[in-house]
Amino acid sequence: MSARDTGGDRLLPVQHLRPGDHAFVSYGDDEVRWEAVTAFVRLGLARGEKVLVLPCPGVPEDEVLARLDFPGRSTVPARGRGQLVVSCMREVIRPDTEFTAARQMGRLYAETDRATAEGYAGLRAYIDMGWVRALGADVEVMACRETGAQALFTGRPYTELCAYDRRRFDRAVLAAMERAHPRSLLERLGSLRSLRAPDGALCFVGEADAAHRTAFGRSLELALAQTAPARRLTVDLTRLHFLSVGCAVGLLRLAMGAAGHDLVEVRCAAGQRRLLQRLGAGTVPRLALTEVVRAW
Amino acid sequence: MVSPDPAGVPAEESGRRLLQRRFTARLLPQVRLLVEECAAREGLGEPRRGEFVLAVDEIAGNAVEHAGGAGRLVLRRVGDELECRISDAGPGFSEEVIPELLPGLDGAPKGRGLWLARLVADRFTVAAGAPGPGGPGAVVTLAVRLR
Repeated sequence: MSARDTGGDRLLPVQHLRPGDHAFVSYGDDEVRWEAVTAFVRLGLARGEKVLVLPCPGVPEDEVLARLDFPGRSTVPARGRGQLVVSCMREVIRPDTEFTAARQMGRLYAETDRATAEGYAGLRAYIDMGWVRALGADVEVMACRETGAQALFTGRPYTELCAYDRRRFDRAVLAAMERAHPRSLLERLGSLRSLRAPDGALCFVGEADAAHRTAFGRSLELALAQTAPARRLTVDLTRLHFLSVGCAVGLLRLAMGAAGHDLVEVRCAAGQRRLLQRLGAGTVPRLALTEVVRAW
Repeated sequence: MVSPDPAGVPAEESGRRLLQRRFTARLLPQVRLLVEECAAREGLGEPRRGEFVLAVDEIAGNAVEHAGGAGRLVLRRVGDELECRISDAGPGFSEEVIPELLPGLDGAPKGRGLWLARLVADRFTVAAGAPGPGGPGAVVTLAVRLR
């Protein structure tokens, strides 16, 4: 578990994406690249959304489908009924041959309306930004599109995940693109990140499963030590998609042992609150559970 | 990614099979994703979906930790229930090892995952598995109602 804090306030696990979200993810490995897109696609299909996949040009469609289909041929029915569409940016902007943001956004706007008219809960699109080089588009044009796409998302059932290959874009472009997106995703399934929020809260993002129990506990111990003078610690669990029993118990035990603190506040979702209560949160002095409803 | 499970499904199993996987610790994040996906597709809403995924992970994690590092999961729709059966080839255990009451936070650290899994399930059983070189094995079945 790393503790980088770049873009920390926007960082989410892919499972937390909701209609209206516009997210950035980057990858630097031809195996890892499939983790976010596979989760994005499969959860979208399960939630009744129409899913459009624009993979990196040059990756054979057979490989794309095989990756999405990894337990057998499980997305075949969705492709058959048109719920899952694999296409390319060239097709999206057709009949134009040169990329313009207006053309692309107009088409995605219309496709969102079409998806809802067809009875789907909305549209989600995965766009590998490898199309930029393939179409000879200008990075500046792409940057304007990414920062000026609010009309696609505001109040509309559209979700977009833009994936950047770190081997194809330089660091400055990647950093600018990450800032241009309201959301940024963890690259891998099953990963956990700890961050310090501007208000000092210790935030966990991702999946606090058994593999991360030790690191989860160490982050808490460090935060308790750092907040000893103030005698107060806030722990934010709301960007965790998964909280294991082991990590939850670890949190409660450390809070119970934090005798020098006046308060350990845990911001959590309803399910996390119920889990912590079931595991004995009520017996921990100076522990306060604050249920937070996601505001976005 | 997860490789297909070559093992067949016993003839006595009923219902519609949704997922069948072998797993190790490395594959548990993918298993959680697939279980969540299937549960959503079958109409299991929150917060029960999250509780079901947590229970499955705790049982699978128990197999990884105590039964040779691997196990096998079969997820099925049986009537109005979503049923998950997790089997391993370890030393085996009985339901009696699961504490009736939650241990205090200052008590022994073991058993809470299985305790929680049994708590959130509408149906929960532990049975002997197929004997193998690692021991008698165990089969844990948990199910939740979809309606």
